[in-house]
Amino acid sequence: MDDVGASGFVTLLALETATDLVGAALLRSDGALAERTHVGGRAHGELLAPAIEEVCALSGCTLADVDALAVDVGPGLFTGLRVGVATAKALGQSLGLGIVGVTSLDILAAGALEVGGPERAARVVAVVDARRREVFAAAYEFGGPSGPGGDQAVPAAVRHDRSEALSPDELATWLDGLVADGPVLVVGNGAVRYLDLLAPRPGVDTGLAGEVAAPSPATLARLAARRIGAGTEPTAAGDVVPDYRRHADARINWEERAPQRTPPPADGT
Amino acid sequence: MTGAASTTTAAAAAGDRPIRRVLGIETSCDETAAAVVEDGTTIVSSVVSSQIDLHARYGGVVPELAGRAHVELLTPVLADALEQAGSDHTGRGIDGIAVTHGPGLIGSLLVGVAEAKALSMVWGVPLVGVNHLEAHLFASLLEQPDLGWPLVVLLVSGGHTMLIEVTAPGEYRLMGGTIDDAAGEAFDKVARFIGLGYPGGPAIDRISAQGDPTAYAFPRSMPGDGYDFSFSGLKTSVVNRVRKEPDASTADVAASFQEAVVDVLVTRARAAAADVGARALCLAGGVAANSLLRARVEQVCADDGIGAFLPSRALCTDNAAMVAAAGHWRLHHGDRSRLDLAADANLRLVSTV
Ligand SMILES: [Zn+2]
Repeated sequence: MDDVGASGFVTLLALETATDLVGAALLRSDGALAERTHVGGRAHGELLAPAIEEVCALSGCTLADVDALAVDVGPGLFTGLRVGVATAKALGQSLGLGIVGVTSLDILAAGALEVGGPERAARVVAVVDARRREVFAAAYEFGGPSGPGGDQAVPAAVRHDRSEALSPDELATWLDGLVADGPVLVVGNGAVRYLDLLAPRPGVDTGLAGEVAAPSPATLARLAARRIGAGTEPTAAGDVVPDYRRHADARINWEERAPQRTPPPADGT
Repeated sequence: MTGAASTTTAAAAAGDRPIRRVLGIETSCDETAAAVVEDGTTIVSSVVSSQIDLHARYGGVVPELAGRAHVELLTPVLADALEQAGSDHTGRGIDGIAVTHGPGLIGSLLVGVAEAKALSMVWGVPLVGVNHLEAHLFASLLEQPDLGWPLVVLLVSGGHTMLIEVTAPGEYRLMGGTIDDAAGEAFDKVARFIGLGYPGGPAIDRISAQGDPTAYAFPRSMPGDGYDFSFSGLKTSVVNRVRKEPDASTADVAASFQEAVVDVLVTRARAAAADVGARALCLAGGVAANSLLRARVEQVCADDGIGAFLPSRALCTDNAAMVAAAGHWRLHHGDRSRLDLAADANLRLVSTV
């Protein structure tokens, strides 16, 4: 983390709640990092605030020292995203700070690069389990001849985003097409979930799927720091919303749905 | 510290500054609300952003839509409530935060609870989780600080129908509740069936003024010997009647249905009040805005020589001022929630003092 101090923040707090992994990371511009995570539960609402308090205590600072905020905006678990984004918005509002929202897919890809290194992670596909036997996925190309070290952590230059939900078979077919241009490292809890389908495919590297199954707060913090350094403007707290990528399930659990009779005429007629 | 009165130790131990102004946050259903209340009695600001239009086309509250809307409304609602209270984003002058943490829609509750925790951490003020039902009970205290005890509260809303004996603030006994639909739910379902739209309560209230409440003798179901309610049979009876008689006057059907609901509610509430020797009968919840229910409660209370407390309509429906009032009382008695406070969709109303 050379030279982040020159890039516009001193203390960055990152919140992660998009998957079963819940936590916070606090990154200082001198490179010091504190991270607290919990894995496996669905108690995002109970775990996040204590994690924030812990990373502040570990870093010997208070929330008043925080001058940059980042949050995973999804896609991911709806209620998890709401806890993370609502927390980030209230922190941003009360601290007078904007928020850098980052998609879970970008964080996963950045995590793949951190763990796999520039060679193995030259081409990455991040896959988030969308449940209902569907996934969200995006493909990334890192490095290459023109990709100098530091900027590789910004997986935005070359990204092929599948914004719609994919079935596991559609994902497999897409990957089969991508490997025609060279091997692809596949990460994320969606890759773990459908490992049996993906692992046997030629050119598909699933060896790091378990290690990079969930976006991590530390990776989010480093990625957001890079983006701030590269000139990304934070979003106003009031404008940050989760990236659900799915319409709301409009069920109210009542037996009768549509009115059986036509509405009465408007008043006066 | 030995011998200190148990009711004051927690407050003393907390070592916070005196609790005067409390910020309340309410997101348990389809209202995003924030309010500042002083000394538990004076509403300094109260902002309620309703999502009625969002849910109207579905005829009821869609949980996932409600959760999403709360996230979007959170920031402006809080900003307005703080500004109207002469404060700002720094929380200047706010001594504590109270948030509804149940019962309600889990995806909605989580949003307010997350916000409240963040503000508590940044502002360095205590946080307390409030039961939404208890908050409704405190709504009448905001307007009638000298309520006498014991009293019986009829809490009627889209999600709840219950009779609660209150012997003092914080001391509750559930006397009865609905065994199927909530009263407000029955209003919504019947309104939708007869084409009056959503929300059903105000629509039925309005059109009933032009109808004959004796046109149809809908059943008055009073299950058991106690104080329970049942509205699903009544709803079915209305549906069957309209199917048999498609040309029935909507106003007559609505008025007769409303008459039946109010008759049952008032009969049981009146008996409950007499049973415990209540000094007053109190209304709470969204259905408490119904004009026939208000008129009947006033009438029977006058007949029985007990007080009738009818909160203003704005305080009957969900709001954050009542949450702040309940929270002020809890904070004042030393109650503090930790940062791992959970939202609980099925939180029960229990006495904790
Ligand atoms: Zn309510």
